[in-house]
Amino acid sequence: MSGLLQRRWIRQTLALTALVLLWELLSRAGVIDPFYMPPPSRVAVTLYQLFAGGEIWKHIAATFTAALLGLVGGLLIGALLGFGAAMIPPIADLLEPVMILLNAIPRVILAPLFIIWFGIGIGSKVALSLVLVAVLVFFSVYSGIREVDPRLVERVKTLGGGRGTLLREVYIPSVTAWVMGSLKVAVGFAFTGAVVGEFVASSRGLGYLLSFAQSTYNAAQTLALILIIMGFVLLLFTLAGRVERWLLHWRYA
Amino acid sequence: MIAEPRPRAAEPTPEAPAPAAPIVQVRDLRMRYGDAEPVIDGLSLAVGDGQVVSLIGPSGSGKSTVLRAIAGLHSPAGGAVELGVAPGETGFLFQDDALLPWRTARQNVALGLRLHGRAAAQALAEADGWLDRLGLAGLGGRYPRQLSGGQRKRVALAQVLALKPRLLLMDEPFASLDAIVRHHVTEDLLAWVERERIAVLLVTHDLEEAQAISDVVYLLSRGPRARIAGRYEVAIPRPRDLIAARGHPSFAPLLARIWDDLSAEVGPVGAGA
Repeated sequence: MSGLLQRRWIRQTLALTALVLLWELLSRAGVIDPFYMPPPSRVAVTLYQLFAGGEIWKHIAATFTAALLGLVGGLLIGALLGFGAAMIPPIADLLEPVMILLNAIPRVILAPLFIIWFGIGIGSKVALSLVLVAVLVFFSVYSGIREVDPRLVERVKTLGGGRGTLLREVYIPSVTAWVMGSLKVAVGFAFTGAVVGEFVASSRGLGYLLSFAQSTYNAAQTLALILIIMGFVLLLFTLAGRVERWLLHWRYA
Repeated sequence: MIAEPRPRAAEPTPEAPAPAAPIVQVRDLRMRYGDAEPVIDGLSLAVGDGQVVSLIGPSGSGKSTVLRAIAGLHSPAGGAVELGVAPGETGFLFQDDALLPWRTARQNVALGLRLHGRAAAQALAEADGWLDRLGLAGLGGRYPRQLSGGQRKRVALAQVLALKPRLLLMDEPFASLDAIVRHHVTEDLLAWVERERIAVLLVTHDLEEAQAISDVVYLLSRGPRARIAGRYEVAIPRPRDLIAARGHPSFAPLLARIWDDLSAEVGPVGAGA
């Protein structure tokens, strides 16, 4: 037993199990009000019902699609603008103030505006998710390029490399390392954008279900939905970690 | 002020006849950063074909700046740098190894070869050959962070030597290595340079090392407006052995002479250099 406890994940699992059990007991004993804090067993039943009905999949698909489109679009647009700003000073002059402003504000406040512009369909969710991700990626690419090790640039130059070689051999790999550093945060942002967008106005998606559960004071369903979103974000985190290890294999070799 | 390039034969250096065909000829060089007082002013030196030349001087006197001017990384504010080699025939070895961290050792070596026109497969094959020659057989697949400081330095050396330079510019390349590794890397480099008759201009603060490997040692005066304060011929026959060279009868007297001159340049408070 003491041997097993040496493993961190075993200790963590045990602690979580103990917490869930305690919660279940306290809720059943009436120490905490099940109306606000339904016991884990009820959340589990709700979770099961959500999936058993099959309805949930179309909502998951909606949120996932919006988040993924926002993530990919945000990565592309952010990287492109970041590269442009770092390479062409006039672009930096135009973009930097806008990006700093967008970075300073809580960007989810743009949700109502995007719903007015793009409607309650998926467009407004993708837009919100994209803006959240693009600003983050813009700054990591922009500063990534400006902080490229000048010794590497000089090295490649003295070996006879021109602009194309520098871009391929130095700038892009160096910036990839920076962007990968913020990839996990970007995944979180992409989901934030999609779910908040749905929460504000929509007819499907996990955010929509959340908003519905909240308006009916259904705490069990709210918790179940939160668990689903957490599960998917964790899944994407793992994928992002894999992508990072693959792209930055030289760091982990 | 750009000095008129003069015919080489008409310009012997003051202390000794200039080598027949200088690979590097620097005349009246002036270097400055921004509007500050020039770091270098009125510096002239020459490196002959196949000659090993060292540039020593007080810390901060601008030794690296001279090297950067010759390498074309920094434009002179005045004077002239004439190279007797094509731009592709100059190798530059930096103080830090500056290998691409995302490329393996062989890919790093192959990069230079590819930039010099080799096809990818041939570049990699040649890179492997160079790594073998420098005692790195079997390590070609490693990334720089998986190599020791000495091994990284050898990769950087392979990267430069693979391009068959006729001129090698080195800026304290082995300063970060521990004494034993440093000795071996320097010895291997010296053997190669002597065999291939590569001209070398080495910037160092290590007086003994400079004297042991060089034919000529230049002493830079204290900056700003640094210039050449002394030129010393090292009369030790080649091929040399790094240890045996230090035992040569002429070694200690010359070392004492350069040391005195260097101390005079650094001044009474220069002990911290």
